[in-house]
Amino acid sequence: MRPALILIALIVVAALAGPLALDWRYDLIDWDAVRAAPFTAGHPMGTDSVGRDLLARTLVGTRVTLGVAFAAALVSLVVGVAWGAIAGWRGGKVDEAMMRIVDALYALPFMFVVILLMVVFGRSILLVFLGIGAVEWLTMARVVRGQMIALRDRPFVTAAEAAGAPPVAIVLRHMLPNIAGVAIAYLLLTVPQVVMIESFLSFLGLGVQEPMTSLGILLKDGADDMDVAPHALLLPAAVLVTLLLCLTRIGESLRNRFVQ
Amino acid sequence: MIDLIRRRLLTALPTLAAVVVLSFVLMRVAPGGPFDGERPLDPQTRAALMAAYGLDRPLPEQVGRYVWRLLHGDFGPSLVYRDFSVTDLIARGLPISLTLGGLALLLALLLGLVTGMAAAARPGTRTDRGLMLGATLLTALPSFVVGPLLALAFGLWAGWLPVSGWGDGYPPHMILPVIALALPATGAIAKLARAGLAEVLAQDHVRMARARGLSRSRILIVHALRPALVPVASYLGPAAAGLLTGAVVIETVFALPGLGRYFVQGALNRDYPLVLGVVTLYAALIILFNLLADLAYGWLDPRARR
Repeated sequence: MRPALILIALIVVAALAGPLALDWRYDLIDWDAVRAAPFTAGHPMGTDSVGRDLLARTLVGTRVTLGVAFAAALVSLVVGVAWGAIAGWRGGKVDEAMMRIVDALYALPFMFVVILLMVVFGRSILLVFLGIGAVEWLTMARVVRGQMIALRDRPFVTAAEAAGAPPVAIVLRHMLPNIAGVAIAYLLLTVPQVVMIESFLSFLGLGVQEPMTSLGILLKDGADDMDVAPHALLLPAAVLVTLLLCLTRIGESLRNRFVQ
Repeated sequence: MIDLIRRRLLTALPTLAAVVVLSFVLMRVAPGGPFDGERPLDPQTRAALMAAYGLDRPLPEQVGRYVWRLLHGDFGPSLVYRDFSVTDLIARGLPISLTLGGLALLLALLLGLVTGMAAAARPGTRTDRGLMLGATLLTALPSFVVGPLLALAFGLWAGWLPVSGWGDGYPPHMILPVIALALPATGAIAKLARAGLAEVLAQDHVRMARARGLSRSRILIVHALRPALVPVASYLGPAAAGLLTGAVVIETVFALPGLGRYFVQGALNRDYPLVLGVVTLYAALIILFNLLADLAYGWLDPRARR
């Protein structure tokens, strides 16, 4: 887990601070160096097919991808925890109905639902992460519900009830803090999922829009241009794969720690 | 078994109906319509167009008409591909997508099961850890990364295989897309098969078989494989969804004229009937695969039939 954490920290710092240290902005065109090779003057990783600095674009793209991923994961956290907590606390018919809905939604083609949302409401970054968050909360809801049911009959909950605490306070103050660890582990496991969805959408032109960039857009540009400039594909591909592997690794080891 | 099928269908059909109705209503209530061009149409033309497409009727009636036509295989006209109906486009794209997805699923099952068995046969060894690391890597590599990288390595650098177009089904054109589509699923199947086998191999009947002196491969294939396949079978549903979404990207990367390409074009151009039709079809396919997965599950583990 430690190497993964260090790599992630390096990528995040580079994505946040890196662009400030570069001579070129991600959307500025260098008319004298269109399709420059790597390691040429002023452009450490060369430029793309319209002369924009590739390193700057990759760093900013990583920043956008990570930003969208965390925002969407937070949306999924809020919806999933609320849904799971209510179902787990109320139990009985309410629980059954709510979990039936989750089961039904699991059977839906997520990616296509998000694409449908993009088509209907137009393409914007805000919608990208709201849409992704809206479909990625199911696992979180299941996990939280399971934890709530396990906690429901524990003595401290009974004690709080006997002391006359209102249900909202019991759930918020006594039960949710006990499942925070598990919830955070699954939150971290949601992040690579969201990274993948966002890159997928942007790759197809349905997510983040030009001139703003993201790893998916860079991959698409790189793939279009790979016969003359393979590094334009390899650089974002390497960053994306490293991100996905490290995030999954961290999420899995946290989950193993909190779930027995 | 028949009872299982009936029960599953009873939940599958309402799900499908909900997808169709919700998508349809979502598209209708969205701001902007198919006739909102740069120049506003004069009211009479507009009214005539709305009437011609039945858009002036109340919403429930529109939904009813759409579903009725859908049941007769009519998905409506495409707004962007002018002279084609959505049914035509689906008829052109679907065979290609099904070939691609079917071959990829076969390849993923074959490679994944072999890998999983090879790893589980020698648990804890270097072979095991190496294979599982490979499988983890494959699952973390999305198809939109694998596709272009394969095209770059084997198409452009090595020059062995074509990287673009379907070539009217000429087999070399299929190799790279099928592999690129199959690899992520392969990793997941290998992991599931390894985990399932490891669990079964620790049970008493396997120890008994070993005590009777049966060979390692006989135990693995005859005694352990079938119960170990249960988790793999339940993965078939998600795998189908993964292959469908993967195919959208792979068809874009390799310029294949499949359903996914029409879907992306439709989504980019806000071609509502096309997007709606393809989403309906995808939902039906995914529900069908979940049904097949349940049936496979019931066949592998008779206790699950009840």
